[in-house]
Amino acid sequence: MSPGRRVRTASLFFFLMVFFLGATSGFAHAVLVESSPPLKSSVTGPDVPLKLRFNVRIDAARSRLTLLQPDGSSQTLELDKQDPPNSISAEAKGLHPGVYRLRWQVLASDGHISRGEIPFTVVKR
Amino acid sequence: MFGFLSVLLRGATLTFQTLTVGGILFLVLVLRSAASEAGDTKISCLRWTRRFALALVVAQSFYLLATALILMQSAEIGLADVIGANFVFAGALGIAGSLTIGILSGFGQNGSERALLLPAAAIIASSVLTSHAMARLEYRFPLALVTALHQLATAAWLGGLPFLLMAIRCASAPEFVRRLSVRFSQLALVSVAVLASGGVILSFAYVGSVSAIYGTSYGAMVATKAILFALLLSLGALNFQLVRWGGTSSILGSLRRFGEAEIGIGITVILSAASLTSLPPAVDLVQDRVSAPEIYARMTPRSPRLSSPAMKDLPEDVYAAQRKAFEMSSLSSESYVPGQSGTRPNTPAEKAWSEYNHHWAGLIVLFIGLFALLAQVGKISLARNWPLLFLGLSAFLFLRSDPEVWPLGPNGFWVTFADPEVLLHRIFAALVIALAVFEWRVQTGRAASPNIRLAFPVLIAVSGALLLTHSHSLGNIKEEVLAELSHIPLAILAVMAGWSRWLELRLPEENHRRVWLARLWPVCISLIGIFLLNYREM
Repeated sequence: MSPGRRVRTASLFFFLMVFFLGATSGFAHAVLVESSPPLKSSVTGPDVPLKLRFNVRIDAARSRLTLLQPDGSSQTLELDKQDPPNSISAEAKGLHPGVYRLRWQVLASDGHISRGEIPFTVVKR
Repeated sequence: MFGFLSVLLRGATLTFQTLTVGGILFLVLVLRSAASEAGDTKISCLRWTRRFALALVVAQSFYLLATALILMQSAEIGLADVIGANFVFAGALGIAGSLTIGILSGFGQNGSERALLLPAAAIIASSVLTSHAMARLEYRFPLALVTALHQLATAAWLGGLPFLLMAIRCASAPEFVRRLSVRFSQLALVSVAVLASGGVILSFAYVGSVSAIYGTSYGAMVATKAILFALLLSLGALNFQLVRWGGTSSILGSLRRFGEAEIGIGITVILSAASLTSLPPAVDLVQDRVSAPEIYARMTPRSPRLSSPAMKDLPEDVYAAQRKAFEMSSLSSESYVPGQSGTRPNTPAEKAWSEYNHHWAGLIVLFIGLFALLAQVGKISLARNWPLLFLGLSAFLFLRSDPEVWPLGPNGFWVTFADPEVLLHRIFAALVIALAVFEWRVQTGRAASPNIRLAFPVLIAVSGALLLTHSHSLGNIKEEVLAELSHIPLAILAVMAGWSRWLELRLPEENHRRVWLARLWPVCISLIGIFLLNYREM
């Protein structure tokens, strides 16, 4: 086998291994560390401040919070100015008593998104 | 679909990054010192650096496109917003760097290879911009610097190795090869020191404590990387010995073969590093870590489960159960990636089914290892038929791995192609048949081509690497961490078995290390069988 052909074969093998094995690997995604309101907690309405803290910096301009109402409808919330860079916050106004779900979706610096959901209950003041 | 494509392209990007930067460092730091004799070798190295750089342009471009499409589709973000994101800037920097290398290296011997260093730095910067380091809140820039040095050292050592092997093939004068090898050895030594110190610093930053090493997936993967790194070092030490004290004429054959094994294990380390980047750092996951007593309780040897639970005890339709678990919001407390279907705790019957599978598979693998050892040590001709035992293993895996799918379960044959996990199991079963046939022909002297002998070590080493790079959850799920801790020794042993068999076959006859390598791989396979026999899920 000529040197060139041997190198081609070795490169193909090298490439195939990384290509094949790389198929199951991914890249860093943000993980929710803390939330307000906490998971499955009860809060008083009608205005509820929402704050989510992640383990890494978040691209807030490309992240979103959606509130699922007790009747099944949803509302995209306007995000506040980001501070610190690993958190996002918003305020949900005029909430009636009931069970809500806060759906979050964030973009990490590597271009990958992660999602999650925080159920909480709004009670009368 | 897009998510799958994205990670495939990222794997390709990592490969070509290592090779392109490795090639440039080899040209500048190793080959340059022997400029007068390096004519043909330099042309050849430049040609391959250019090819790798252009391949990086293609891989990186497709990766960017796929990631942007995923974002636009799943997060409903407009194109204008996507273009302003950090990962697009990082990707564009990488593409510009590799394109410049592609153009500059086309000038051949007339160009200066030092001019390639700046675009190579751009490629590394592009990779660091999307790393854990840049996303941290504290010590962001020191960590980014350490990450850059870590990647640079990986490229210099592992990415430079194929170029050394190429130079050894091209060069005609043994003394020239010896000088190149000594120079590369020095570069490798420095790279190893940088890699190791970088690894220690990053471990302090991302793992943080001893309990996180065994209590989280991230910590366990860092420990695995350290073990594989030690394996690489021992091979590097053998190379170093050869270069320093071996006779000029006798080192070439051995040097090439050790280099091949180093590249293979090096790729496994790079991939386990890639697997690490998919996990949140251990310091961020302080809840639900696995404790030492829990590991002890799970790993304490017990008699294997050799009788199977009844089929009727298993869930009737696992897909429906999975959907139900997802609808019941079992995931609500976890972070997850789009497309992830959630985790459903296995029932006791499912766990018993899995343990039974692992234990019988372990028994077969143990016999394979022992018969292979008998064939190697005792020269017993009947024992040479040991690869046929793999056929039994394949049939067993095919029948038992996925009881919810044909032929045992209610879901038809075509579901195989819809569920990636089932498909992977079926592909494995087919691979095991191929392994049995190839190796049986080799062991019994029926294989005409010497290259067929390499199928067995390659498949074993690839299986080991696959075990290390499977996908992880974003959360710290105890059962997953415990399962991972059980699989890590199997993966390391498989990597050792594969590459020791490779070296036994490839090293020159006069290299006396072939003798103990011939004993090492059957012992590793037997140990895999013993570990499988003690696999537990409850």
